[in-house]
Amino acid sequence: MFKKIYLLAILLVAFSGTAWAKTIVFATDATWPPMEFMGQNNQVCGFAVDYMKAAGKEAGFTPVFKVVAWDGIFAGLATGKYDAICSSVSITEERKKAMDFSVPYFKVRQALVVRKDSTAKSIENLKGKRVGAQISTTGHFAVKKVKGVEPRSYDEIGLAMEDLFNGRIDGVVCDDPVAAQYALSNEKYKNALKISAVIETKDVEYYGIAVNKGNRETLDLVNKGIEAVKSKGLDKEILKKWIHQ
Amino acid sequence: MAEHHATIEVSDGAAIPLRKDRGLFSAWRLSFVAALCLFAYLVIFKQGPYLRLLKLLPGGILVTFEVTVASIVVSAVIGLFTGLGRLSHNRLINLVASTYVEVVRGIPLLVQLFYLYYAMARFVPVPDIAAAVIAMSVCYGAYMGEIFRAGIESIDRGQTEAALSLGFNRTQTMFYVILPQAWRTILPPVGNESIALLKDTSLVSILAVSDLLRRGREFASESFLYFETFTLIAVIYLLITLILSKLVSTMEERLRYYERL
Repeated sequence: MFKKIYLLAILLVAFSGTAWAKTIVFATDATWPPMEFMGQNNQVCGFAVDYMKAAGKEAGFTPVFKVVAWDGIFAGLATGKYDAICSSVSITEERKKAMDFSVPYFKVRQALVVRKDSTAKSIENLKGKRVGAQISTTGHFAVKKVKGVEPRSYDEIGLAMEDLFNGRIDGVVCDDPVAAQYALSNEKYKNALKISAVIETKDVEYYGIAVNKGNRETLDLVNKGIEAVKSKGLDKEILKKWIHQ
Repeated sequence: MAEHHATIEVSDGAAIPLRKDRGLFSAWRLSFVAALCLFAYLVIFKQGPYLRLLKLLPGGILVTFEVTVASIVVSAVIGLFTGLGRLSHNRLINLVASTYVEVVRGIPLLVQLFYLYYAMARFVPVPDIAAAVIAMSVCYGAYMGEIFRAGIESIDRGQTEAALSLGFNRTQTMFYVILPQAWRTILPPVGNESIALLKDTSLVSILAVSDLLRRGREFASESFLYFETFTLIAVIYLLITLILSKLVSTMEERLRYYERL
């Protein structure tokens, strides 16, 4: 009898604990190390995940991460399958037309990854060759802009890196922290791949949290959290933990 | 012995609109006209995104066709030899052919594509289109093999006995007497498998091959026009398969010249 009451009390405390804070469901394509990826115990982890957890603590929301494939992640947001996207989404003018963005939480550039023996110093050197990227990422757009390069779009960045490793393509363009993860720290690839160039685009890219147009409630909470993390300097610690800067 | 077998002819190809099947025949007409009208309406009257997307698609349709045609040819050849192998009196050949069919039929095509392209790349880095064709052919070769086997088995044993007694050897019997007759039984289901194969080529888009589906996906995730994109892609696939199923039905009716008497 006592045991039952005891259990009930625990359950009540546990549930009320989560009920106080609003839950925000973030969609994430967990194939983008070190920003967001599947950790060893099959949990989503990474820079963005820790960042949002910290932001949630500051602003009073509980982040829940839902793993979704990148291709179709924006469609799922539009149909209300989750509240927001936290998946290294660069804020672009095109995307702003379709959804609202939070304040930026990370600054990013596009990096070109090639094999160790390659002499390419920029993406223009790869004319007539095939360059891969993840479908519809800003990296993919950057490749498509270069005339004479054959763009190849992959569903996951890991598959593009594997194809580069196997010699089917001659370069991969992706966000610089991801490029660093594969070319500098990944056990399998670090001896075979290198970062040859950082592509200078006119404007600097920033990651933001995407929400549906007009979803002020979620956006305000997320913004409040991100601002708090920045002003308290919590982001430095997270940066150090995942990106070694 | 009462020989009465009810056969259920359902395959993953397409519903073949034979003239004798009234309901299906009009269903084919209805969907074909509807698909054609929808296509024309979208492209001519709606324009905008549809026209922009349509301009990107010819290359993709070409890739889809290349992969389909090459795979049909190769898988038909594989199928013929597998079918013969399955009927072979040589224990070893029979075992090899049967094992091939069992193994391939037990692995999803998507997994086979991943396996050939990414897993095998360590040993033989096959180029993408070649990998797509090989994987599709190996997979469909097993299905075709079963069709060939069934078609050859449908020819009366007396034909073999007659040919052998006339002094043909087994190979000659097969190629001069049995196969020419078996064609009529084999061709319609092979046509149907080809339609199924065409639809399954959409799977090769995971190998970063820029076929019809991948071009659509690239367009959709850049423009966020998911509804428009996939409506058009679906209509195009439907139009192609409807045309092919009509061709198969025409072929099937032509092949039935004995029955028409």
